[in-house]
Amino acid sequence: MSQTSRFTRARQLTSTVLPGRRLDGYADQVTGRLRGSPRPAARECSRSPAAATDPSISGTARSLLRNRAGLPARPPHDPPAPDQAPLDKITAILAVAEPTVDAALELLSVQSRFAKFRPSKVPDIGPVSDISLDALLAEVARRQRMLGQLSVVLSADTALARNPHIRPDTIRVSAAQWALLIRVRHGSRPRDLAWDLSRSVFGTTI
Amino acid sequence: MAAYPRPVRREEKAPVILDEAEALLDPVSDIEGFMLACLVDASTGMVLASRKDQDDISLPTAAAGAADIANVLLQLTGELPVDGLEDVMVTFRRQLYVIRLVNPEPQILLLVILDRDRVNLAMARRETRTFCASVAA
Repeated sequence: MSQTSRFTRARQLTSTVLPGRRLDGYADQVTGRLRGSPRPAARECSRSPAAATDPSISGTARSLLRNRAGLPARPPHDPPAPDQAPLDKITAILAVAEPTVDAALELLSVQSRFAKFRPSKVPDIGPVSDISLDALLAEVARRQRMLGQLSVVLSADTALARNPHIRPDTIRVSAAQWALLIRVRHGSRPRDLAWDLSRSVFGTTI
Repeated sequence: MAAYPRPVRREEKAPVILDEAEALLDPVSDIEGFMLACLVDASTGMVLASRKDQDDISLPTAAAGAADIANVLLQLTGELPVDGLEDVMVTFRRQLYVIRLVNPEPQILLLVILDRDRVNLAMARRETRTFCASVAA
């Protein structure tokens, strides 16, 4: 059975998509759109609530700290509100879209071990952002082509090894790159690192 | 030699993740010489929203190329004393690509493709900068 028909058949069941640890979502059989909402458990824990409200910390960092401190209202991950700045809306939708596409990519891969469809009623996941099924399938197909080209050298399950010839003192990295680098152990896989950081498996792999 | 019929060009719009944001790109489409504009997630090359006047440009290809260019330059900014990437201009014989970093984290790019015969580069750059500021406000 082709990947697309697997997906279509699942839609006819009003199936729940299981996008992984970062998102709840489902395929709406009536509208043909995928709907997703960040999973509360993905809103990670513990740091000082005071730091989360410290005005000297940049907006994005403060938002992350708010999440870790368990404080409410995280604009980048909540569904877009009507009065949000356009960029906030875009980042909010991206925060839902990326895990959805990432999960669909895994779900529609031939050897998926980490996700599956299940028949379900529409889950109560609160306010949602939605994505058209056509857009999702087009993006999944694009990613499958890219991963196919990369598969000779790299996949999400390739064990990584540090290059001993690179001198760390000559390299400057961004905060996001640093967060990734400090988690790399001998034998780490891009998938593990992505899950550990609540990032896109595809984005981390490429 | 037999004359083959010209293939019918498909006019249907390529689906994008954020289709409702097409209107957001209206100000960019007013730039003289406008051909295509899109918002791209730089970490994956995924097109979030797009607007185009011409169908002969492959949107996913252009977007992925813009993401690759920006990623290479963003890596360079770690090695050079340049204090951050602002925008990139790529000049082809018939087109001009303007790539601008709209948001640093998550990295979102604006790609604008312009007809080189009609565009005023300085004005186009100014208008994309104004657009990015208005989107963030």
